[in-house]
Amino acid sequence: MLVARYTLRAHRAAYLLGAGEESDDVVQEAFVKAFQHLSRFRTGEPFGPWLLRIVTNETRNLVRSRRRRAGLALRLGTAEPAGTAADAPADEVLAAERRTRLVAAVNTLPARERQVLVCRYFLELSEAETAQVLACPLGSVKSRTSRALNRLRGLLVPAPESRVPSG
Amino acid sequence: MADQTGWWSAVESELRALGHELEVPPASDLTAAVRQRLEGQGLQGKRLKGQAVRRHQGPDRWTGLFGRRRGWRPVLVVVAAFLVVLIATPQGRAAIAHVFRFAGVELRQGPEPSRSPAGGGSLPGERPMSLEQARRQAAFPILVPTVLGRPGRVLVSDGGRVVSLVYDHTPHGPVRVDEFAGRPDQIYFEKILHLASITEVRVNGTRGLWIKGPHEVVYITREGMTTTAPARLTTGNTLIWSTGQVTLRLEGNVGKAAALSIASSAR
Repeated sequence: MLVARYTLRAHRAAYLLGAGEESDDVVQEAFVKAFQHLSRFRTGEPFGPWLLRIVTNETRNLVRSRRRRAGLALRLGTAEPAGTAADAPADEVLAAERRTRLVAAVNTLPARERQVLVCRYFLELSEAETAQVLACPLGSVKSRTSRALNRLRGLLVPAPESRVPSG
Repeated sequence: MADQTGWWSAVESELRALGHELEVPPASDLTAAVRQRLEGQGLQGKRLKGQAVRRHQGPDRWTGLFGRRRGWRPVLVVVAAFLVVLIATPQGRAAIAHVFRFAGVELRQGPEPSRSPAGGGSLPGERPMSLEQARRQAAFPILVPTVLGRPGRVLVSDGGRVVSLVYDHTPHGPVRVDEFAGRPDQIYFEKILHLASITEVRVNGTRGLWIKGPHEVVYITREGMTTTAPARLTTGNTLIWSTGQVTLRLEGNVGKAAALSIASSAR
């Protein structure tokens, strides 16, 4: 029951944090470790973040050992969301374009900043849960988040002078 | 600075929305693999560990990982005794056993329902609309059982993720049909029941499940969480089947033969 209930979340976390096609392996490993250390855990804390912390560790080990990052970029799903059929109005087309640019910008972030964004916004964890999952102080979560958002801003909002053609 | 704060909160909500649209491949059901690895370690020791995994994952995927893992052996010895307890106790088994999935529905063993059948138990964001409107909203093609004719009510829930056809008057009494995209990476409903009350059936040549008697049903959101909506008790019997693209769930005081004939008329 625990395995079934948490598999989808854990798998989603592993994939978005960079485990790629080895996400199932990472999650399996994380569950085995979680059960092995169940005695260490039972102190009333929620199981989800605790499991995600193991998933994050396993994913980091994997990424470190893999030495290649190709194919690990986040991608938008191919399925069109309901209501954006052929007659999609212009603002929806613009929104889709914006999402594509946003994904591309997130993909260029340094790993540590990207991980914080994945936890905070894609896995919808709180700052405290993110700190627990990434095993770092709460202050680091805050500072990495603001660095990441600033960097995104730099990538997505060009400075006014840079729009002027130099020639 | 005010401009920056505004941009931040805008991009934060954009990032949250983006999370729902990122591509994530389907997750495998790991229940059996995890159980086998824990049992393999706990009862037979470390020697069989690799083999237990290989049967599930193929020969090449784990050898690299195990080659790197030097800290395992001492830990295993300590942990083995604990695992034997985990596997041998009913609580331990319940945590990792008696679950299976069928076309977006998770079925697990549970106690006999004690609550009386709840009439409502509506799904999140449930809205009534015409069949035509529902077809535009739904994330999948809606099928209608032709022998029942046009549904009395059509309910679209959770942003088009689930569509329910409600027939208040049929020769079999009230009948409800829930439909959702048969995506392998998502669970839409969790059913808590006696696994003994399930029989496998064929609907138009594909596999289906016939569940006899009322049971608790819980809606599971996109993120894999149970909703705030309370679990409800089904009425009568349930038939679940899938066309590959769409999973359908028929519920009502319907006998098996009638349910199968309604199901095979879905177009």
